[in-house]
Amino acid sequence: MAPPAQFQRSTSSSQPSGKGEVSDLKMQLRQLAGSRAQGTDDSKRELFKKAISFMTVGIDVSSLFSEMVMCSATSDIVLKKMCYLYVGNYAKGNPDLSLLTINFLQKDCRDEDPMIRGLALRSLCSLRVANLVEYLVGPLGSGLKDNNCYVRTVAAIGVLKLYHISPSTCVDADFPSVLKTLMLKDPDAQVVANCLSALQEIWSLEAGTSEEASREREAFLSKPVIYYFLNRIKEFSEWAQCIVLDLVAKYIPSDNNEIFDIMNLLEDRLQHANGAVVLATIKVFLHLTLSMTDVHQQVYERIKAPLLTLVSSGSQEQSYAVLSHLHLLVMRAPMLFSSDYKHFYCQYNEPSYVKKLKLEMLTAVANESNTYEIVTELCEYAANVDVPIARESIRAVGKIALQQYDINAIVDRLLQFLEMEKDYVTAETLVLVKDLLRKYPQWSHDCIAVVGNISSKNVQEPKAKAALIWMLGEYSQDMIDAPYILESLIDNWDDEHSAEVRLHLLTSVLKCFFKRPPETQKALGAALAAGLADSHQDVHDRALLYYRVLQYNVSVAECLVNPPKQAVSVFADTQNSEIKDRIFDEFNSLSVIYQKPSYMFTDKEHQGPFEFSEELGSLSVGIESADNVSPAQRVEASDNDLLLSTSEKEESRGPSSNGSAYSAPVYDGLTASQTQLEPAFQNQALPVYSPQDGLAIDDLLGLGPPAAPAPPPLKLNARTVLDPSTFQRKWGQLSVSLSQECSISPQGTEFTASEIAEVDNGSKLQLDVYLDEPKTPFNDDINGFDVLSFWRSNWTRFLDVARMAHDVLAIPVSTVASKSSFSAGGHVIDKYLTEPVDDANDMADVVKHVLLMPKPNSERGCGPIGTPQASSWAGSNL
Amino acid sequence: MLQCIFLLSDSGEVMLEKQLTGHKVDRSICAWFWEEAISQGDSFKLLPVIASPTHYLFQIVREGVTFLACTQVEMPPLMGIEFLCRVADVLVDYLGGLNEDLIKDNFVIVYELLDEMIDNGFPLTTEPNILREMIAPPNIVSKMLSVVTGNSSNVSNTLPGATASCVPWRTADLKHASNEVYVDLVEEMDAIISRDGILVKCEIYGEVQVNSHLSGLPDLTLSFANPSILNDVRFHPCVRFRPWESNQILSFVPPDGEFKLMSYRIKKLKHTPLYVRPQLTSDAGTSRLSVLVGIRDDPGKTIDNVTVHFQLPPCVASADLTSNHGTVNILADKTCSWSIGRIPKDKAPSMSGTLVLESGLERLHVFPTFRVDFKIMGVALSGLQIDKLDLKNLPSPPYKGFRALTRAGEFEVYNE
Repeated sequence: MAPPAQFQRSTSSSQPSGKGEVSDLKMQLRQLAGSRAQGTDDSKRELFKKAISFMTVGIDVSSLFSEMVMCSATSDIVLKKMCYLYVGNYAKGNPDLSLLTINFLQKDCRDEDPMIRGLALRSLCSLRVANLVEYLVGPLGSGLKDNNCYVRTVAAIGVLKLYHISPSTCVDADFPSVLKTLMLKDPDAQVVANCLSALQEIWSLEAGTSEEASREREAFLSKPVIYYFLNRIKEFSEWAQCIVLDLVAKYIPSDNNEIFDIMNLLEDRLQHANGAVVLATIKVFLHLTLSMTDVHQQVYERIKAPLLTLVSSGSQEQSYAVLSHLHLLVMRAPMLFSSDYKHFYCQYNEPSYVKKLKLEMLTAVANESNTYEIVTELCEYAANVDVPIARESIRAVGKIALQQYDINAIVDRLLQFLEMEKDYVTAETLVLVKDLLRKYPQWSHDCIAVVGNISSKNVQEPKAKAALIWMLGEYSQDMIDAPYILESLIDNWDDEHSAEVRLHLLTSVLKCFFKRPPETQKALGAALAAGLADSHQDVHDRALLYYRVLQYNVSVAECLVNPPKQAVSVFADTQNSEIKDRIFDEFNSLSVIYQKPSYMFTDKEHQGPFEFSEELGSLSVGIESADNVSPAQRVEASDNDLLLSTSEKEESRGPSSNGSAYSAPVYDGLTASQTQLEPAFQNQALPVYSPQDGLAIDDLLGLGPPAAPAPPPLKLNARTVLDPSTFQRKWGQLSVSLSQECSISPQGTEFTASEIAEVDNGSKLQLDVYLDEPKTPFNDDINGFDVLSFWRSNWTRFLDVARMAHDVLAIPVSTVASKSSFSAGGHVIDKYLTEPVDDANDMADVVKHVLLMPKPNSERGCGPIGTPQASSWAGSNL
Repeated sequence: MLQCIFLLSDSGEVMLEKQLTGHKVDRSICAWFWEEAISQGDSFKLLPVIASPTHYLFQIVREGVTFLACTQVEMPPLMGIEFLCRVADVLVDYLGGLNEDLIKDNFVIVYELLDEMIDNGFPLTTEPNILREMIAPPNIVSKMLSVVTGNSSNVSNTLPGATASCVPWRTADLKHASNEVYVDLVEEMDAIISRDGILVKCEIYGEVQVNSHLSGLPDLTLSFANPSILNDVRFHPCVRFRPWESNQILSFVPPDGEFKLMSYRIKKLKHTPLYVRPQLTSDAGTSRLSVLVGIRDDPGKTIDNVTVHFQLPPCVASADLTSNHGTVNILADKTCSWSIGRIPKDKAPSMSGTLVLESGLERLHVFPTFRVDFKIMGVALSGLQIDKLDLKNLPSPPYKGFRALTRAGEFEVYNE
């Protein structure tokens, strides 16, 4: 009997019967409200506590509102705090009753205790009731002038809260300019920091509508303001430092001396105990030195140690966030981290998301000198208890093998994996062995010997099965029982669920047939019959194709399935470098963690620095008033504004711009119609760069930052003891492990020493650099010259040009008549054709769109059109 | 910036909700989060930063309590995570621990703390010393005081003077009856030993922890005998950068109470104090496992709390392990721990036994990783030595104390 009783008791305190308790509470509060007896505060406190605990659990206690307010006339600060908390929670729903609280809050705002003044002001601003803003202006105004810094800190943020309730009231009361004065004058750093964050938000929201606000916003990035903040940076709390550093990262210094000054001043921030400060500093460093190739590399060397320490200290969550950033840097410059590979060894206890990142980094940093150790370590993981990580590490071994270091040893290890007789290990390894064979056919002998021993019954995963079947077909002359294995597989055709496997089976049987006809003939017949009867369209088509070709001419069929094959030199990259660059631009943001640039995962309105979406709040209950929607529109307006000016800038800069992958000079040689399209391209490609560009544009258009207070000789504090040259020397002494072989350019590329001189701070265009290269002599030797491998090895030097070459070289040879691909016939819907022909003409389609329909908002026009096809081309060998 | 902070219990119940901006985040996000956490099997395995349909969430888990913060805008992820970690630290500091009951009993204090730590989504101060002056911790002393004096407010009436002073981590006028300062070197050794017994990686992560109870505004300098062995250092904000840069001296005005003065990393150590030699042989369906543990490089002090943990491969049907020293425990999920305790001087502890494999398996192909725990009092294994600690600006000479401690961090041995 006991459990049901208990159950009843427990429900009594929750929602349904909570009402009874709430009304009890109401009674008691009412009794206490008028009492002035000794000890009332204690009993009040108990009741308040109860009310708030109800609120926390989720019971609606808004009916207590008037009683709570009545009881709050007290000097007890804890009571006050609880009451403020309560009022803040329910004011929005009870605008009329909130008026009751205004009175006592206003009174508290004049209390002699600064703590109470601050608390009251904060609560007053947190009421967020639109029709009460008139009562806010007075207390806020005096709060900003308060002689206690605590109150001023609260007031600065209060202005921001007021702005969100009613922007016009805030601007009319001239609060932004008061904040600005405070920001530049106040002795207390926290006040300054709060003013900064409030102003940043207000002005970026205002910027869409008001000229002045956008000018003010830009003024943040002017030299006097930035220097002012930098000089005071040590006074700020760690969080405020993050905000300041974030601002500094957007600043564009006018010359190199300035850059060194700033870096000098900030260098010790790299040793701050707070990881957020360290990362913000690193962002500043990376962005400042983008234009200076050699220093940029030294920055990498300098930030390496702090980052690695951050990873090993702190909690798992912190170390994951840092690792994601480290991952980004490692992927950009694997050479620089190759000596630190041991830091990326996985620990048993780490969560698998951390291990995954580490494995990727291990793969990236592998080179001649460390491959052996790394692969040894990876093999340990492969034998480990953690299955997903074991799989990942086998894949990692394979990737390293494909990077062509020390293949001998790696192939041996892979073959050892096959002997482990673990299903998942075998499966992963088979896929890898297949890839390896495509790249290094010379290893076929060793591999086939081992693969031949694997029973196809032990391989269940489709990918692995397909790989095994591929090898059976490809090397059937070396494997004695290949035809029989294939035959038994064909016997089980109906049990095979994956279409991929069936496709491979068809092809392999045919291959095998040409090598060992008598043994395979029967299997081939069975396979073709089964294939023709297959319900999957692709399988059916392929079977039909083979059948007809065999009927037509056997030697043609042989050419079809067994053409002379060239070893694959490069497997397609998964993520293109443009995206990587964008993520790099967004260092120290969520983009890095998601490994996607923010435009791929945030909505447009969220990209505005401080905009909260109300539309998205489908989860939120609040009834949003009309003026809450307007900021979103404003941001959109400002976005458009930015876009417009960005393209203007592009035009006015003309050929000297090299920011975008699609900049003018690259397309020079193409038709006029394409150059016309260019602004459209840029419109879509550029929004991400907005903050910096925004400033640059206005410079160019002559708007410029507003006349700031006439700059006295601006200097960073004399605390910086190093002058730029010694600073650089000192940085130069950092153990640059690989500086002789490689260095980092702004685009994350590697240069040899001689090439650095040539590229010279990136002032030359990549195309010019490429054209100035010594030409490869055209002689007998030219047959050994592989244009694909040239671009592969020089990819990093000419990012954009290489990408173009990639597009051009990867245009597939098509048998589709050109006329038909440009005909619109496929798009005409008639009674025979109810949907447009898609796959085959896709590429031509895109070209057509670009050539014939210059719509700036066409979504298709903005990507590198060749890439998707190109990668699938490079990846398939059939 | 952060829009809302939730504290969830280990059953997914919302214990506390703190809205930070005008945009109210509905509680249903917690339900979404909890489902996500359950689908991952374990909230520990969930990424610290995840995207829900409406918000980006930062989450950390401490002692079963999940701290969840929501935002809709791009922001530095480490700022969110770091802040949540600080909140957790401060709560532990205030409540003397962290669990569901403590938070429910003291939710008013938690609200008060959050109120001072973050406003409108901008973190303000997370320095425990400053917070303690604004909000008194709920300890026995203050309870006693409130009974005696009848003043039951746990909020001090004075404002922190430090917010205005140039050392934000310290109040201007502190008085202690006895002046004392303790410096602890706490090191953790991370090591990987390969199956050939080779030390693949050996690193030390160390912290200098200071506990100071000093009156006035003291100025301390701490120097090391061999600072050159440090590979990378991080400092508490109170450490002045220039003296370190030029002479490798730590010069600082300490906060009151306990704090982490500095953390450091030392790479490429050559020796571990212990050796652990696991050996696994397989034959016809059974495997024989033996593990030997002993002192390799005598640190001069006793090695305590030695424990060896490992996870038996899933294909092991049963295991029978015995040791000549300490106790062996095998749990139902096949985790195995051998607690040795202090290593005896006269003999080397060993554990051996047989593993019966599942039927059909001849040999073992999956090998466990052995994780070793130990603790050595009185020694910093990195060899880092404190040279001297000077104190200036003090009315009376204080008591100074030094201690050192090394323990195992991630000490892993691969099977032979």
